[in-house]
Amino acid sequence: MLFWVVAALLTLAACMAVLLPLVRGREAGDSTGSHDLEVYRDQLAEVDRDAARGLIAAAEAEQARAEIGRRILRLGNQPTSATTSNGTAQRAAGMAAVLAIPLIAWGLYAFLGSPALPSQPLQDRLAKNPADSSVDELVARAEAHLAANPKDGRGWDVLAPIYLRIGRAGDAVIAYRNTISINGTTADRESGLGEAIAMAAGGMISADAEAAFRRALAAEPGNAKAQFYLASALAQEGKLTEAAAAWQAMLGTLPADSPWRSPIGRAIAEAERRASLAAGNAPADGPSQDQIDAAAEMSPQDRAAMIETMVAQLDERLRANPRDAEGWRRLVRSHQVLGNADAARDALQRGVAALGADSEEAKGLQAFAASLGLAKTE
Amino acid sequence: MTRKQKRLAVIGGALGFLGLATALTFYALGQKASYFYMPADLQQATVAPGQRIRLGGLVEEGTIVRGQGTEVAFSVTDTEKSVKVVFNGILPDLFREKQGVITEGSFRQDGTFVADSVLAKHDETYMPKEVADSLKAKGVWQETTQ
Amino acid sequence: MIVETGHFALVLAFALALVQSTVPLIGARTGNERMMAVGGPAAITGFALIALSFAALTMAYAQSDFSVLNVWENSHSLKPMLFKITGTWGNHEGSMLLWVLILTFFGALVASFGANLPASLRANVLAVQGWIGAAFMLFLLATSNPFARLTPAPFEGQDLNPILQDIGLAIHPPMLYLGYVGFSICFSFAVAALIDGRIDAAWARWVRPWTLAAWVFLTGGIAMGSYWAYYELGWGGFWFWDPVENASFMPWLAGTALLHSALVMEKRSALKIWTVLLAILTFSLSLLGTFLVRSGVLTSVHAFATDPSRGIFILAILTVFIGGSLALFALRASSLTAGGIFQPISREGALVLNNLFLTTAAATVLIGTLYPLFIEAVSGDKISVGAPFFNLTFGLLMIPLLALVPFGPMLAWKRGDLLGAAQRLMFAFGGALLAVLVVLFFVDGASVFAALGAGLAFWLILGALTDLVLKAGIPQVKPSVAFSRLIGLPRSVFGTALAHLGLGLTVLGIVGVVSLEAERIVTMRPGETLDIAGYSLRFEGTQPFKGPNYTEDQGRFVLSGSGGQVLGEIMSAKRFYPVRQMPTTEAGIKTLGLSQLYISLGDATADGGIVVRVWWKPMVTLIWLGGLMMMIAGTISLMDRRLRVGAPAKRAKPSVDKPAASVS
Repeated sequence: MLFWVVAALLTLAACMAVLLPLVRGREAGDSTGSHDLEVYRDQLAEVDRDAARGLIAAAEAEQARAEIGRRILRLGNQPTSATTSNGTAQRAAGMAAVLAIPLIAWGLYAFLGSPALPSQPLQDRLAKNPADSSVDELVARAEAHLAANPKDGRGWDVLAPIYLRIGRAGDAVIAYRNTISINGTTADRESGLGEAIAMAAGGMISADAEAAFRRALAAEPGNAKAQFYLASALAQEGKLTEAAAAWQAMLGTLPADSPWRSPIGRAIAEAERRASLAAGNAPADGPSQDQIDAAAEMSPQDRAAMIETMVAQLDERLRANPRDAEGWRRLVRSHQVLGNADAARDALQRGVAALGADSEEAKGLQAFAASLGLAKTE
Repeated sequence: MTRKQKRLAVIGGALGFLGLATALTFYALGQKASYFYMPADLQQATVAPGQRIRLGGLVEEGTIVRGQGTEVAFSVTDTEKSVKVVFNGILPDLFREKQGVITEGSFRQDGTFVADSVLAKHDETYMPKEVADSLKAKGVWQETTQ
Repeated sequence: MIVETGHFALVLAFALALVQSTVPLIGARTGNERMMAVGGPAAITGFALIALSFAALTMAYAQSDFSVLNVWENSHSLKPMLFKITGTWGNHEGSMLLWVLILTFFGALVASFGANLPASLRANVLAVQGWIGAAFMLFLLATSNPFARLTPAPFEGQDLNPILQDIGLAIHPPMLYLGYVGFSICFSFAVAALIDGRIDAAWARWVRPWTLAAWVFLTGGIAMGSYWAYYELGWGGFWFWDPVENASFMPWLAGTALLHSALVMEKRSALKIWTVLLAILTFSLSLLGTFLVRSGVLTSVHAFATDPSRGIFILAILTVFIGGSLALFALRASSLTAGGIFQPISREGALVLNNLFLTTAAATVLIGTLYPLFIEAVSGDKISVGAPFFNLTFGLLMIPLLALVPFGPMLAWKRGDLLGAAQRLMFAFGGALLAVLVVLFFVDGASVFAALGAGLAFWLILGALTDLVLKAGIPQVKPSVAFSRLIGLPRSVFGTALAHLGLGLTVLGIVGVVSLEAERIVTMRPGETLDIAGYSLRFEGTQPFKGPNYTEDQGRFVLSGSGGQVLGEIMSAKRFYPVRQMPTTEAGIKTLGLSQLYISLGDATADGGIVVRVWWKPMVTLIWLGGLMMMIAGTISLMDRRLRVGAPAKRAKPSVDKPAASVS
């Protein structure tokens, strides 16, 4: 609201700057001649001064005086043409100018400005009552504090799990590493670090993450998070039975109200589903990543058979319904993942043709294929 | 001389002077301007050893070799071709792998480019890796498109 | 609220500038005094609005308001407060707002102090200022709005380019802009004269102080930019003939010519048409400079902003203003009456020669700067025109000009006595000759070029001093009388002499550095020493250091003289700014008398050493001290009473000795 008042006052001032001279009566203007005369008089005085000081010779001074005198004569009496009366047309033009200011300014500002957006000085935002702040603001405040005091172990300790929760896994890794190096290792910090590394890698539990979980277990043999993720690592490697067994073992030792019970239950169910898929119950809709993973666990003959079935099904479906960009992607990826580059290329070509070579979808498909390392086909 | 003749003489003198200055300018342009090449351009153009040119491109990855003392060797590439450059001196702050550079100097008989100055782009914004990569993929480097 | 108020003020100022550019003009055409009178209040209010707008942006920077896109892009909460504030104009949008601020400031000055100008001239001048202002405000709003918002606001900015985080750069652009934009007043006066079809006597009196003021700022801006590049880029060069530098140098050359031709016009009413043309060209070159720097059309070592749409917009402004004013000139120049006549050998003749050389030099710089663009457009070849070209052409043009400088002030107006002037300069000539011989025989490693250069510099310096001495009447009158006469000399006489003296100092500095510089590049390990120019430099080792928004490795050196006495410590550093992931070199500089020792650090070598580049730069500080001298000279000249415009006789006090208003 205050802003609109200020804006209105500014507009008023700008309009007055134009309006006042237009309505104010003015004394009759000086003729241009009088201005020129003034300058020439000044020049004469200067010549006199210079001559008095001996800077120019008397003859030179006389010559200069004569020249200036000639200029004054040439000036003559030029009539004053200035008027103060306003013709109708001129008055209209003046009023149009006054009106133009608010019209242009407010019109343009309505188009460009964001009047509803308040100023947001950083200090104010950081000093706001924490209860009113969003998580982002709280994090920013903590970051500002830690940038100034990077050795504050407690700060890193608090910030690390928050980073993890809001999905800033990369920052979480740094924060966990900092707190471990400042405060020393504990099972919670190490398992948190492992989780952060895994999250940063899109859920893949790398050797780094695994090492962190193992350190957590060394510090506290019963650490649930570390146990859970190590079991997940087994599942990711395809050792579904071992993973399920590990999770089952956890269920036996965890207290009844442990928050880990439900994720473990889901994980076991998922592992069993994948195990049963791996046993050969082919799905209806092309091979998923899980199925390909599962296929890796089968005997070579079974695997070949399963893949052929699935790929053939997908291929058939695409022939029937070729405008399915997602389906083409899946087909190309399937061939590519299974190391059949020629077939992948063939699928890519057919997909591009089916989607229309210039379509956005075809371009997307090609880009996708390129991201898989499949050379562009001509 | 009449006033008109005098004026003509002055104007004539000024024009003569300007003509002389113009001739000097274009002579100097012919002599002193150095051509700018990317490594791939050098195939079409014939650059004699010893002729001063500017060679621009990206510093090829893994080619920076620190020699004895202050000598540095690296390759400048435009992703099609690359040219080996040797330079004796302090590299600019922004010199690093895959960064755009302009080197000025001339070719030795053996085809090595001996640079006496190396400029790295002082850019207002740090060029993100993706941008550099995509520019690289297109064979266009930011410096040459401006 | 503050941010949006600033934004609104900018929009409002644009609307007001449109009115300012039309209503007074119509008034001047129809002889309507009231409409003419609109110009003044509009210009002053416009300035107040832009000042409010600029203050709002500065406030946003000082408070790290990252809801402003521009602040987020160019600032960081950890930056020192000084650089937060100077960061306001360390980027494209902010610097253009500063440009407009200065433009409207000058417009407001004309409006405030122009009461003694003929009303129609004043109205036309303010209208032309209004056009320029409206064009650049539209440019800001359309392509580079500094008040664009970002929501939700991030909590941290992207930081300012580290090489711009420097006190030199805090002052350099405002100075340069004061210069560039100062010439806009001369331009407006020229165009106003063309619109009117006549040049009032007050015209030259007004144009000259403006030219002088703009010239002083431009000189300072260039000198400061040169010193900034010298110590901040870490190459130790003071001038690179870089397009960005040329962009500021061309208006300086043309402005220097304008300064001299305006003198002829004021004193003798001659060279009117030429002065008008020169005023147009000078500001055109300033606009061209803005275009070259802001569009990134030329490859430059420090091209800061590169955005094609902005380039096209500025190009359009450029075309309209330069093309329009030159067309107006072609149309109306013939209606301006020719002025006084003079002999070729006279003060006027010397000043014409000065103009010829300076404008030709500006033209060669222009050609050299634009030639690569031209060639690329025609044949597609990419060429670079660098120092060798400019040194040859510009150098060749400057030598005769510099040789002629001392003659100018010795010649009388209208009809001069060359022989007499030569006689009076005998002493200066003898001194210069002595300098040549001394350098040739007593300075180690000096070439003939160095000797002649030194001679030229001393010729300028002694010639300028001779002028002062003679004007004080030294050989004829008693010392006490001479002293009082010296004190009583018009300040413009001092201005001329000191400016020419400053020029001589700069030439001497350039000659010293170019011909006697010593450079060593070596790998040093801690404890090792290096001998250069009679000094010895011991490397003490490096140690890490953490600044507010950077980390650095500081290399410490101990400097000792030939006798082993310790002269001081020099610190040179490699800095790293993590936000921008950018390293910079902080040169270590030790000033010894007029000379400097310059150290920059390179990379660390595998065996624990570090590459060190050391320059001995003899007399290098004279380059900038000369520039400073020229600035002081210009300021002194500005204070001369003759440049204060007398008020019309109708004023309360008709005395011409006590002017009612001054322009300085």
